[in-house]
Amino acid sequence: MNGSRGVAPASPRVASPAARSLRPAHDIPPTRPLPSVPRGSRRSPTEAAENATIVEREDVSPSVARFVVRPDGPIAPFVAGQYLALGIRVDGRIVQRPYSTAACPGTGQAHEFLVRRVPDGALTPHLWSAGAGARVRLGPPKGIFILEPDDPRTHLFVSSGTGLAPFISMVHALAGRDRPPRIVLVHGVSHAADLAERARLEAWTRDGLVTYVPTVSRPDDPASAGWRGRVGRTETALADICGELGLDPATTVAYLCGHPGMVENAERLLHGRGFGDVRAERFWGPGTAIPGAGAAAA
Amino acid sequence: MAYVIAAPCIDHTDQVCMTVCPVDCITFDPAADRKAYIDPEGCIECGACVTACPQGAIVPALQLKPEWAFFEEIDRGWFIDPDWARDAVDALAA
Repeated sequence: MNGSRGVAPASPRVASPAARSLRPAHDIPPTRPLPSVPRGSRRSPTEAAENATIVEREDVSPSVARFVVRPDGPIAPFVAGQYLALGIRVDGRIVQRPYSTAACPGTGQAHEFLVRRVPDGALTPHLWSAGAGARVRLGPPKGIFILEPDDPRTHLFVSSGTGLAPFISMVHALAGRDRPPRIVLVHGVSHAADLAERARLEAWTRDGLVTYVPTVSRPDDPASAGWRGRVGRTETALADICGELGLDPATTVAYLCGHPGMVENAERLLHGRGFGDVRAERFWGPGTAIPGAGAAAA
Repeated sequence: MAYVIAAPCIDHTDQVCMTVCPVDCITFDPAADRKAYIDPEGCIECGACVTACPQGAIVPALQLKPEWAFFEEIDRGWFIDPDWARDAVDALAA
């Protein structure tokens, strides 16, 4: 889930010589019965996939929750910013989606995920109804949206919604360094009630570890009742704080995570102001406009 | 849900999907594989491969046609036991 990527090695399009002699598989008649066990009679290696347990669910708001998931065995090594596939069995099969972990790398034995409930989604309603104690599938940590070792530059973290998750992990990681860099964390949400991890981020602010910039785009909604803080979209707050906090493009690295539209706007804004090192992680999901592609289920 | 590479890819593997995948979760060994495979635990559901595939072989797992349903298991299986997945592809295409 990162804007940069490796490129697969180029090689000619061929299968094995033996394979080429066979007719294309899309000649398979639609009515042909599927083999329950493929040739070779080995059992499917994909069965019995649950390997972790939801040990805690904390409701941040009616639509956002923090899930703590403990693997059956020792937690696989991961670095801040990575994601894992989280899945649960629905109608006999594992339905899973990738989520960035908010856990502190190197300590603890569980992952933490911020999950937005999608009412008609294929996965999240089942996570909600299962709750603590439910058995789930947890994939291996993946992704290269990660910190540079010993980077002394100001770290500008810009997130929307549950895109906050990798930055919680990153702050943990940076806090563990001998000399943590300056950290500015912008978190934009629609409603104040969706400000996940607010207490922890305010505590980190009091400790001088983080400059926390929450912003609410729908302050008049009942779910924002009592909000007296910054209002407006994530990108608006970002534009304001670049000047307010005196962020120097030459000594700042920016990490962006959240809705693709926010990420695109923030990238454009930062590049326009001379920020050269901008790294992005986009959260895809239902309703996300992906030209030519089907929306993912959730 | 992750995307799945279904029957039209078999013996017609273009590989452009591998070049557009932002997380390198698609694999294909031209010496051994008859199709490409998407790692369901790496796929971030961005859909870039769907748009790029000239065969129309890539679809969301939950939208697979019934006759392609087994490809979800085949793609997952490759990342656990590639030979099992290759046997499964051979069985489907035979």
